[in-house]
Amino acid sequence: MRRSPGIGRGLLVAIVGLAVTAVVAAALLALGGHSPGATFAALIAGAFGSWDRFVSFTLVRATPLLFTGLAVALAFRAHVWNIGAEGQLHAGALAGVAVALLLPTGAPLLLLPVTLVAAAAAGALWAAGPAAMRTRFGVGEVITTLLLNFVALFLAQFLVQGPLQEPRGIFNQTDSIPAAMHLPALLPGTRLHLGFALAVAVALALWLYLARTPGGLRLRTVGASPRAARVSGRFRATPVVWAAFLTSGAIAGLAGWVQIAGVTHRMYEGLSPGWGYTAIAVALLARLNPLAVVVTAIVFGALSAGGGAMQRDAGVPEAWVRGIEALVILAVLATDRCWQLLAARGKGG
Amino acid sequence: MSPGEIHGLIGENGAGKTTLARILGGLAAPDSGKVRIGGRAVELSGARQARALGVAMVHQHFSLVPRFTGLENVALLDPGAWNRRGAAARGYRERVEARARELSLAVELDQPVGGLGVGARQRIEVLKALMPDPRVLLLDEPTAVLAPQEVDGLLAVLRRVADAGGAVVLVAHKLDEVLAVATRVTVLRRGRRVLTAEVADTSAPELAEAMVGSRVAVPATSSRQRGCSAPRMPGEVCPRAARLAGVHARRDGREALRGVALEVRRGEIVGIAGVDGNGQRTLAAVLAGVQPPDEGEAELPPEVGWIPQDRTEEGLVGDFTITESVALALHGRPALRSGPWLDWRGVGEAALGVMREMEVQAEGAEMVASALSGGNQQRVVVGRELLRSGSLLVAESPTRGLDVKAAAAVRARIRELAASGDEAPGIVLISTDLDEVLELADRTLVLVRGRLVEIAPGDRTHRAIGRAMLGAERVGDNW
Repeated sequence: MRRSPGIGRGLLVAIVGLAVTAVVAAALLALGGHSPGATFAALIAGAFGSWDRFVSFTLVRATPLLFTGLAVALAFRAHVWNIGAEGQLHAGALAGVAVALLLPTGAPLLLLPVTLVAAAAAGALWAAGPAAMRTRFGVGEVITTLLLNFVALFLAQFLVQGPLQEPRGIFNQTDSIPAAMHLPALLPGTRLHLGFALAVAVALALWLYLARTPGGLRLRTVGASPRAARVSGRFRATPVVWAAFLTSGAIAGLAGWVQIAGVTHRMYEGLSPGWGYTAIAVALLARLNPLAVVVTAIVFGALSAGGGAMQRDAGVPEAWVRGIEALVILAVLATDRCWQLLAARGKGG
Repeated sequence: MSPGEIHGLIGENGAGKTTLARILGGLAAPDSGKVRIGGRAVELSGARQARALGVAMVHQHFSLVPRFTGLENVALLDPGAWNRRGAAARGYRERVEARARELSLAVELDQPVGGLGVGARQRIEVLKALMPDPRVLLLDEPTAVLAPQEVDGLLAVLRRVADAGGAVVLVAHKLDEVLAVATRVTVLRRGRRVLTAEVADTSAPELAEAMVGSRVAVPATSSRQRGCSAPRMPGEVCPRAARLAGVHARRDGREALRGVALEVRRGEIVGIAGVDGNGQRTLAAVLAGVQPPDEGEAELPPEVGWIPQDRTEEGLVGDFTITESVALALHGRPALRSGPWLDWRGVGEAALGVMREMEVQAEGAEMVASALSGGNQQRVVVGRELLRSGSLLVAESPTRGLDVKAAAAVRARIRELAASGDEAPGIVLISTDLDEVLELADRTLVLVRGRLVEIAPGDRTHRAIGRAMLGAERVGDNW
């Protein structure tokens, strides 16, 4: 009796999952000799302690996860298993930086859009190879997109050590991009940049596309049953699969360049701590619903922001943060599964 | 159930036949109540345990691994196929062959089963179930996909199993088959047992009445009013709906249609009988305009209604609502778009129209289609395909798996359509159910190995058509 999986239920599952995470993490922290109370206090203060903590840290860190999470969610809706958001992110970052550094600084108002388009195009291009291999030869995209992640990573390493390295030649990083290319602040006085708004706009656009347009209906059909697309929908699945690959890659490409234009202002080795992979959890926890991805991306942004504070203020090592991130995923998925089983039992009895 | 008994389990769709069979087969747990095997109450926690206790099941949808050969599939669940080190036991192949001979089952053991016909696959499925010599053999709608001679062959095998002291449960929706082979019969309706009787003490009308709870009018098979009002002048015929000439087409790289010629006129029902796997799917795809022929001509209307064979995978989509299922067919129409958006209100009205027209029983158009019963799902598909409003409707086994009432409703609708005057579409009925073809079609053709054979009007008998159907499958009458 619904058009898409219930958001209310998803929210409830997320809350129960987080509660379970808190209990298990508290037990583990106590076993490890850390005070759960102090650790959680630092985590929460780091993520939500003040308006500025929330906006300048949590939301800023959520932004690349939001882009990549949306990229993964869209692809997965079409049953395109794009594991390559990490690589597409790097491709987009490199293209954006290259255009920003090489383009003459003439008309600043035009430059930023040009770099954004370049980043999206590079991300799409990075996804085009796997798309061609899947649609032409039936090669599974899980392998191809994953392998291309390493190619992109090493390409980035090579470029920041070589052709794109800063003229001083000291660090493995590029020069700073011109100030005209910086994404303007979204809220004055905070570090939150326009990229977050752009990501939310993409989320809204994807949601509208999937729920309200003929193209969205086609994409969902191809994801659920390519045979139904052909027989009942009378359209070919291949162009839809291509569109899903390219759009997904483009959105992931934006993630990399927006991070540079909004936060770091230069490209360097290790730009992404694995956002393209965390994105899979972000998308799955949101049940591939673009609007819910906004929420899950912020949850993971909060964990990342709070994790730093946890390390600094409570003296809990970084590895614990990673562990808690993993716990969140496991707990929410387990809660969801238990929920389904209970619901099935309730119906049967 | 006692040894040597063949017990027919019949009932409408959704009456609980499959659920009951699954409980006995260990695939579902009862909410309350007990299963007793050999006098002992047992709790079955899975198919493997059920097998160990001597219950074997032949599923409605085959449970074979397509890439495995027949022998590998048979060995899959049989502990006797493996020695202690997990390698293939010596002499297993000989044991399988001996068992097949004992049961007079002609099976192909060395080909991957994915490439075999439905009948051949089912024989392997049956052999697989019978290898450990079970006490109870369960078959869930095993005859739905078989030609008449193959059905006879299967029923004969069941008799041999019972004669050897096994008990057989046959879940079916065709009364005559149950009556032909069963010793006792149980009728389920809405999850309750309404009747259990010795076959000798009951009759088809009594059972049919028990199934539906009221008398069913068996529709007359007599000739009906021609659809279009033609011929108005001597020699004039209804306008042509579609024409195929010399059509060759491939499916998965193999030639599936070899020189098919077919002409369909508006207002007529052309029945195409045949055993599954003789080119039916390809013929339907070509007629629907989804697959252009490799060779030959196809003159088709711009939009063709297509009721596909596989309701759940092709006709509908996983968790789409009824509205979305209708949108799937109509989303390309300019009238149902406003700017870039799909006009969901317009689609919703169309969906309600389909539900009214086809008397779909659902809580509303926003109900997820997979939550509907099979009959109601099919009504949605049929109604939606009628909205395509073409002059041609292709119906592939449109009543497969439906209960008596639902099937009768679908057939009545098809008959009505063909008789709907000048607007009547030409209807191509591709069905493996010969009774259905004979009941509905104005003329009958048989699809055999990608070729169409026309049956002369005077020759429309089960035997004759069955022979033509099996021209394709030589092992067919050799169970």
